[in-house]
This record gives sequence, C-alpha cells and structure tokens, in this order.
Amino acid sequence: MNPTARNPMLWVIATFTLALLPQVLRMPPAVALFALAPLAWRVAAEVRGWNPLPAMLRHVLTVLALMALLFSYGDLSGRRAAVSLLAVMLSLKLIECYRFRDARLVVSFSLFLCATQFLFGQKIGMPVYGVAVTLLALATLVRLQRVEAWATRGTPPRPRHSSLAELGFSLRLLALAVPAGLAFFLLFPRLATPLWGIPETTLDSKSGLSDSMAPGDIQKLFMDDSPAFRVTFEGPVPPPSERYWRGPVFWRFDGRTWTDSFYSRNLPANPMPPDDAPGVYRYSVQMEPNERKWLFALDYPAIEPPDSRITVDFQILRRDPVLQLYRYRMVSNPDFRDSPLKLPAELAFNALELPEGSNPRTRAMIEEWRSQSPSPSDLVDRAYRHFGEDPFRYTLDAPVLGEHSVDEFLFQSRAGFCEHYASAFAVMMRMAGIPARVVTGYMGGYYNPLGEYLLVRQSDAHAWAEVWLEGQGWTAIDPTAAVSPARIDRGSLGAVPEPRFWMDVPWLRSMKNSADVVQQRWNDWVIEYGARQQANLLAPLGLGAMTPASLVLILALVLGLVGLVVVPLVLRIRGPSEKDPARRAWLRFLGRLNQVGYSASLANGPLELAADAAARLPAHREGIVSISELYARCRFSANPPPVSDLEQAVHRFRPKK
Amino acid sequence: MSETDNRLQRLQEATEAVNRILLGKDRQVNLAFCCLLARGHLLIEDVPGVGKTTLAHAMARVIGSNYQRVQFTSDLLPADILGVSIYKREKDVFELHPGPIFSQVILADEINRATPKTQSALLEGMAEGQVTIENETHALPDPFFVMATQNPLDLVGTFPLPDSQLDRFLISFSIGYPAPEAERALLVAEDRALLLDRTEQILSPAEIRALQEDCNAIHVSENLLDYVQALLAETRDERWFEAGLSPRAGLALLAASRAHAFLAGRDYVAPEDIKTIFPALTRHRLSPSGFSQDPEEQVRELLSQVPIP
Repeated sequence: MNPTARNPMLWVIATFTLALLPQVLRMPPAVALFALAPLAWRVAAEVRGWNPLPAMLRHVLTVLALMALLFSYGDLSGRRAAVSLLAVMLSLKLIECYRFRDARLVVSFSLFLCATQFLFGQKIGMPVYGVAVTLLALATLVRLQRVEAWATRGTPPRPRHSSLAELGFSLRLLALAVPAGLAFFLLFPRLATPLWGIPETTLDSKSGLSDSMAPGDIQKLFMDDSPAFRVTFEGPVPPPSERYWRGPVFWRFDGRTWTDSFYSRNLPANPMPPDDAPGVYRYSVQMEPNERKWLFALDYPAIEPPDSRITVDFQILRRDPVLQLYRYRMVSNPDFRDSPLKLPAELAFNALELPEGSNPRTRAMIEEWRSQSPSPSDLVDRAYRHFGEDPFRYTLDAPVLGEHSVDEFLFQSRAGFCEHYASAFAVMMRMAGIPARVVTGYMGGYYNPLGEYLLVRQSDAHAWAEVWLEGQGWTAIDPTAAVSPARIDRGSLGAVPEPRFWMDVPWLRSMKNSADVVQQRWNDWVIEYGARQQANLLAPLGLGAMTPASLVLILALVLGLVGLVVVPLVLRIRGPSEKDPARRAWLRFLGRLNQVGYSASLANGPLELAADAAARLPAHREGIVSISELYARCRFSANPPPVSDLEQAVHRFRPKK
Repeated sequence: MSETDNRLQRLQEATEAVNRILLGKDRQVNLAFCCLLARGHLLIEDVPGVGKTTLAHAMARVIGSNYQRVQFTSDLLPADILGVSIYKREKDVFELHPGPIFSQVILADEINRATPKTQSALLEGMAEGQVTIENETHALPDPFFVMATQNPLDLVGTFPLPDSQLDRFLISFSIGYPAPEAERALLVAEDRALLLDRTEQILSPAEIRALQEDCNAIHVSENLLDYVQALLAETRDERWFEAGLSPRAGLALLAASRAHAFLAGRDYVAPEDIKTIFPALTRHRLSPSGFSQDPEEQVRELLSQVPIP
C-alpha cells in the first residue's frame, strides 16, 4: 500500500490488537509470544517504513508458532487451542498484510476472534467490549473501502474527513444492524446447550468452595470479589445474622484437612423440612458457573431443585457441575430441627472421630473442662466464650500451622480466619465427646436495593461449626462471631483489619456493589433468555409452541420486514456520488495514480497536476498529460470534447509501479 | 493563422523580449502582462535596485507606448502629474499643458512618498480613465497602464496608501533578488540601459486594445465560477484574514485570470490561472488575521485547502 493507504493499515493493526487483547491474557506464555511478536513487528514496520519480511522467514515463523501451540496445548482440537491458533495465525498474517485484500481479511477475522471470547464467558463487559471492537472494525473497513474506492469507483476521501466522523458513520451502520440483531436474539430457536456445546473445561479455573477444607482455603476465596450467586426473595429478606448459605459439609478430619464422609454424601435427608410452614423463606438463586456441584441455600432447604438431591447433612448436590448461569427456586425452613432425638450410629461415629494422639494440650484442657462441668451444652458455651475471652484475633495474616494445628492455634498464634475457628471448635467439641462437623458456605451478602436482590460474592465465603445436642439436634455455632462480631454484622470485608487490595476503598466498593445490578439485569434478560422465555414472549402473539423450523421461518419473515426498512436507510447514508461523468472519470484517474504512490491533492488543478505527476511518474507522462488536458477541457472550456474520450482514456490508463 | 493567433504570437514575443532584459523573473513579467491585458494597474513593492524600473522601462519599450516616469516626492503637487492650463496671449485662451498622466505607460516611482492629495490625483485617473483639470474633463489615452513602486522597508516620511486606493491596483508583486544563475548572467552581460535602447517596439497601442478585447472572449465555465466563489467565500472566513475579498476583487480576479489563460494560449480559464493570479491579486488586499506572518504564506495555505470542483 502507498502513503495514503498507510493510515488505514494502522487502523487494521489497532482493530486486531483490540480483538486479540482478551485472548492473549488467557494464552500460555509461549503462544502469547507468537501472538504478540508479529504484531509488534508490524507496528514497527508501519511506523518506520520497513520492508516486508522475506517469505522464508515467514514460513519458519509459522512452523515455530505451530510448534509452540502444539507444545503448549498438546493438540489443536480444544477450544482454547483453536482460538489461540486463530489468534496466532492472524498475527502472522499481519506481517504479510500489505494489500487491501489482506487488510480486509485481517479485519474480518479480527471480528470473529473478538466473538470467540463468548466461548469462555458471558459477562456484561464482553458484549460492551465486543461492540467497541466491532465499531473500530467497521470504521477500519469503511476507511479501507474509501481509499480503495477512490481507485475503482472515483470516490475520493472527503477533505477534512476526520476519524471521528468515520467512527460516527460506523456507529450509524451498527445502529441500523440493531433491529436485525434483536430479531435474531428474540426469534432464533433456543437450544438446550449452545451449538458448540459446553465441555468440562469451560472456565479458566474452578472457583468457589471445594470438597475439602484446609487452613487458608477460605482465606484465598476472600481475595476473590467475583459474584458467587444472586438471590431474589419472594417475601421478606432474612436479617444479616441469619444469612448463612449452606454449602459443603465436612465430617472427616485428618489433623489438617476436613473432608466429607461416605455416609453424608450418600444418605438422603430424612425427614425433609416442611416447605409450607409459616416463616419459610422463598427465593430464587441465580448461580454463576463455578464447575462445582453444590447449590447453596439457607438452613434448611425444604425442596429439591431439579436434577439435585439433598443429603443427610442438607447439602444440595446437583447431578452435573454448574457450567452456565443456573437458576433454581428454593424454600428454606429456618425453624426446622435436624435429627433432634437420635443421631444414627454411623454418623455419630464420623462426627466424633479424631486422629490418634493429636493436639495433646487441647485435649488436656478439654478434659479439665469436662471434669469441672460435664454437661454438653455448658461445654459448648464455655468453648464459645473461650474464643471471645482470650486474645484471639480474626485476621488474614495467620501463620502456617504445624502437626498439632489446633494446639498451635489455641495456645500460640491465636490468629486466624473463619476456617481456623470452625475447625478448632469442631475438634474441641469432638474431644469433649460432642458430635461436631464443619459447614462451609457463604455468610451475608450485599442487598442491592436497585435490583432488589442479594449479591453474594466469593469473598463472602465462610466456615462455621455444627454440634449435635440431644433434644436440639444439629445446632450451628459460629465461633467467628465470638471473636469478631463484625464479621456477622458488617460482612467479611468489615471484619478484616487489613485492606485486601490497594484499590479496596469504600466508595469504589459500594459503586461496584451498586453497579452489579447491570450484570444481574444482563443475566436475567439476556443470558437466561431460553426456550421457555421465548415461548412466553411469543405466546401473546398466538405463537406459543413453535418448532425450531417454524421459528426460523418467522425469523426470516421478520428479517425481511426489517430489511425493507433498513436497507433504504443504509443506501441513503452512502451519500450522493459524483454526478458529472467527467469528474467521476477524473477521480478514478486520481485513484489510479494513488495506487502507484502518487497522492494528488484535490486542491490542485488538472494542468498543475499533470506537470507534477508527469515529472514524478515519467513512464506514464503521456497518459497523464493527455488525460489531464482532456479533463480540463471537459470541465472548463466552452467547447468540451465528448466525455467518452476522457472515460476511455482513463479506462486505458493502467499505471504500474 | 487567424488574427488572434497572430496577435498572441506577437504578445508572446513581447514577453520574451522583456524576459531577456529582466532575467529569471518569468512569473513577474507574466503577471505584468496579465495586468496590462486586463486593463489593470500594477503595484511593485521591493527594495531599490532589483529591477522595478527596468521592468517598467522594458514593458514600455516593447509595447511602444509613450512612457513617463514620475518620481514621487513629498513636495510633488497634483498639477505636476495632471498638467496645468497656461494663458496663451496670442490666442487669448488658456491652453492645457498636459502632465505626465497623459502618457500611455507611467512609472510612478515611490508612490507612497507623495502627499495623499497628489496620490489621489493619479489614482482617480487610474480608476476612471479620465482626469478633471479646472472643471474640464480630459480622457486619458487607451491603453493606459500605471506601474507604481513602493519600498516596503523605508517608511520614514511616507504616506501609505489606504486600502481603498490599494484596490485600484489590480496586481501587486515583489521582484525579489535574482536566482544565482540569473544574477551571474546579469553581471557579465552588457548594460541593461543599452539593451533597453536596442529593444524594439513589438506591440502597437491598437494591438494592445485588440488583445484586451481578445481576453474578454476567454470562456469562464460554471465550474470555474464555483471555484472562484469558493475561494472568495474562504477569504471571508475570519480564521484567515481580517476582511475578505470584495465582489470587485472577484471581478478583477476573473479579468486577470482571463488574461493569464490567453497568454498561456488557452481559450478557457482553468483553475491554474486562478491559482496563479490569486496570490498577486490578494497580496495588497488582504491582511492575515491572528498572528500569522506572511500574507503570501497564508494565501498559499488557503489555496491548498480549497478543493477544485
């Protein structure tokens, strides 16, 4: 391309860079290098005016890039690998992109590359980013078209045509595409899973609570501000102190790590809490995908969501992991008592088991307490108060614990996060002969008054303990509340003295909380728009149960109608083309000169241009001079020659570099 | 060969003859002839010694007109230009002794040194083609061509011409120092005065009148008028100049451009004619707005921004 066309090349590079950015963050370093290096070279080549790389070197680079991809991903069949392949190949394409055709190809594929980010997530930021990239890509295509059209159709770029105007033009084009986009969104047949399916490896890493708990696990989650789920209540919202969202429950303790037991996982809850008692909470939960099977509910879940079961310790386990945004309805009965009269023997055994000979100091202390007052409820009370009286600290800055972790925690460090307290409390109870288990889940949440929903983040993750007392059944005890009442009242962020991130300032946090309503609306209206919602939408029109085929037919009809309105508008914004055939031929001639590197100013008259261009392109002197003179006479003389002479002369004029 | 072509050839011979005397100043010579053919008057602004007088002299020689040079000074009176009526006793009448203004070609040297009253005596003649002396109107010869000079640097004791009178001049330029080769040629060649003396008359006053008529016949197309109007409109944008060009200036532009096209041997005005004339036409008419320095620079910039329709 020539100097005038250089400008569009920078636009092409910018479009590709923007489309590449979200992908490059997910790439292994070696692949990212091959995605970025050619891009960087092309930018430098464009700015410095370097020559294209020799073909041999380009081929070697391509082979190396493929090897890097294979080495990093194993094969090229996965979605991640395929997208990386596309990105790397496009970047390599850029280094040999010197023609309009190639530039257009890179821009079009950049759009596709940008769309691939929806294979990895559906956050609200993505469509916004996608629109931005599309806008830039459109402006780039328009610019390419303008420069090229000069040569072929005789439409020169308008003088003083700013980039802003180009973007505005693209925005108008995009706006005209909105009706068609809406029609596709509303009417395209909804499939149970997307066309490309959702394999196990959708998410970049599993997030949220897991099937085991070791010290530090929940603390890690505390750093993660991403939403875990959102809850919309049908009736009253429970007060903050009752917002314990039950998740994985742990029975087995090996001295360090808590895990679940065979029984708890496989025995069903029996009896189920009644779901029609007064005081039950009814709500629906919209869960963010986390690739785990647990669903979360307030104590005690009274109904089973579809494809899920409720275990004996009231975990809700889904058959499949949650891979997409998932919504379920739930009823919770807070007044229910879990096995108040008798604990089955095998469960009691699990709930009392401790590793041999661990934590002797704690054991000694508990023995002493027991001898002073053997009543279980007194012991529970005393242990709870113990955390409140001694100088225990609730902190992120907990030291690493050794073999007798509970001893060290209780007598030395006295500093920890909720999992330390829950774990220590459960161990103490078991030493006292009281069945105990650890429950993990989320505590609290931010109530968004705008969207009227409760937002629970990963940073709200929490662990507490449950003890079994005769007559009362399983009773939740949150030792954290004894150490740091603020954790319960003000949420996890209010309880920790250390700031998590430098940007963790209150106004930013509250803004983030309020702004989450946008994401929630996006989830509700766009991502959750499925076959059922589609049917609901079409039912009032008498189009209730539609087969996919008839949906496609309706879609085609609507698109046709939209086209009737939009196409004339698109044609109108193209603007009037030059009416005078002589001038059109002249502009085409200028475009041809432009292609061979002579960029003519539109403020130059034909004769002036002829002298200048003929000097710069001596090989085409004759053609240039005769065309210019013909044109000057066509436009300005009293007896103009026939325009066809000029048109033929321009048609014959095929300059070469 | 038609009569017009014949005249045109002679005209081109005349410009070449002047070019042989004033070396390397084709543009200025060309503009001077355009000015003559468009029935305008010429203002030359430059320092002494670069050839203002030589140019005027050479022009006068080749167009064979009677030529007068008037050195303007602060004590020059209108009568020194116009002439006086003197009583003739033998005839018992007052008889006009015509002043230098009754020549066909006048060199008004350092016009800004005279008092405004004297200046306006000349300028009235330039504008109207006639002068009034003691209530009697006398027609001036035709062709009537005034070349005035000014020194732009030496302004002490001068009376600068007001804008309204500058407007009487169709074209203005500076001659400037010669290019090195031209200067070398000038230094080694024989004396310009001798050369001037040997220069023959090429065009007669009648031929000049005919040439002026020929220029009127040069075609101006609608497209070209669009361009002229676009230029005029652009000069009126205040980001360029304090005040724009008047319609009269537009007419003058067309007239001079016609002459330029004719000189180039074309029977129609092309945008190039306009672009060549435009700087010389605006040089003394427009003053740049804001901080911009050189009016010519400003005009070139303006020309490069107005697309040709």
